[in-house]
Amino acid sequence: MTDTFVGRDANEIEALVTDRYLETLLAAHARGTDRSPTGAIPAGAIRSTAERLARDLPRLHPSFRFEEALAARIADVAWRMRTSAAAGSDGPVVPLPALAGPDESEPADGSDPRTVFGRPLIIGGALTSAALSLVGAAYVAWRLNRPAVGPMARAVRTVARTRPV
Amino acid sequence: MARPAFWKVDRPEEEGSRLIHLDRDRALVEAAQADPARFEALYRKYLAQVFNYAFYELRDHHDAEDVTERTFLAALTNLGRFEERARPVDGDGASTFKVWLFQIARNAIAERRRRTQRHRETVLEAATNVPATVDLEGDAARNDDAAAAWRAVSRLPGDRRRAIVLRFVDEMTTAEIAGILGRSEGAVRVLIHRALRSVARDLDDPTR
Repeated sequence: MTDTFVGRDANEIEALVTDRYLETLLAAHARGTDRSPTGAIPAGAIRSTAERLARDLPRLHPSFRFEEALAARIADVAWRMRTSAAAGSDGPVVPLPALAGPDESEPADGSDPRTVFGRPLIIGGALTSAALSLVGAAYVAWRLNRPAVGPMARAVRTVARTRPV
Repeated sequence: MARPAFWKVDRPEEEGSRLIHLDRDRALVEAAQADPARFEALYRKYLAQVFNYAFYELRDHHDAEDVTERTFLAALTNLGRFEERARPVDGDGASTFKVWLFQIARNAIAERRRRTQRHRETVLEAATNVPATVDLEGDAARNDDAAAAWRAVSRLPGDRRRAIVLRFVDEMTTAEIAGILGRSEGAVRVLIHRALRSVARDLDDPTR
């Protein structure tokens, strides 16, 4: 006990004595016994005030109605949490890039994932365009070399060939 | 998942070391982290304490209920982020979950105060009456004693009042109160000692 008080001022020592007294007082109070604590006793006024507060300060409890209503709310939130956790476990969640316009916090080194998404769209468009062009050229060539089936078509081709360019 | 809160304790008389369990709420917290529906056990355990703390701070039945609700819902939704930090010096009965829960309550009370813009003067005025919800068994003298104690504690400034309420009403240890108020244990001891002196003067004052 003496070692505990070495290097402390009078105020700290008094506070420490009070604290130890409260430990035993509140423990006795929790057990429902009125036996006064033994050991170092703080000054009379502090001791009597501590005993009075331990005995007289009201302990409150919320209404049963509130308790059950909040319990139901907590159960509801817990159920939602469990459901969302279960939904998340079906497969990995892939973070999607933001679709909004660029903001100020965007990195300036070109590492924005949106630029990665932009390139395949351009390349895909060019490839599609080229493919459509090849199909179109093949179709025109096939149409020109194909023998005309009707008299009207033959007349049109004859006129086209004889027309000066 | 919370970091395991087991500490190795070296015992010279024994071979090797053994593990001790530091947080008395560890089993309940882990169960609730694994299945949120199990949070109800923690809710039932600490409901009255959180409500008491909120009521002594706000002096209003509805405000205290609102803060209690916010506290437990915030604790439930953030339980995954809770980390045990119990130390051997905190003792066998320490609960870092309880400290964490009351830190949430403290923030909720501060937020409530900011929202309602309630001033200290009006709080002191309201504090002159013992709450109607107090169910005191016994005679009128007992009620008078409770009213006097209630008023004396209500007149204490901020952290002194909180420390007294947490110590006497919620029956917390000095270490737990230090964790909640963000002070050292020595500072909390001095705070309580000075608060008791103030209350003693107040209760002895015949003009009060």
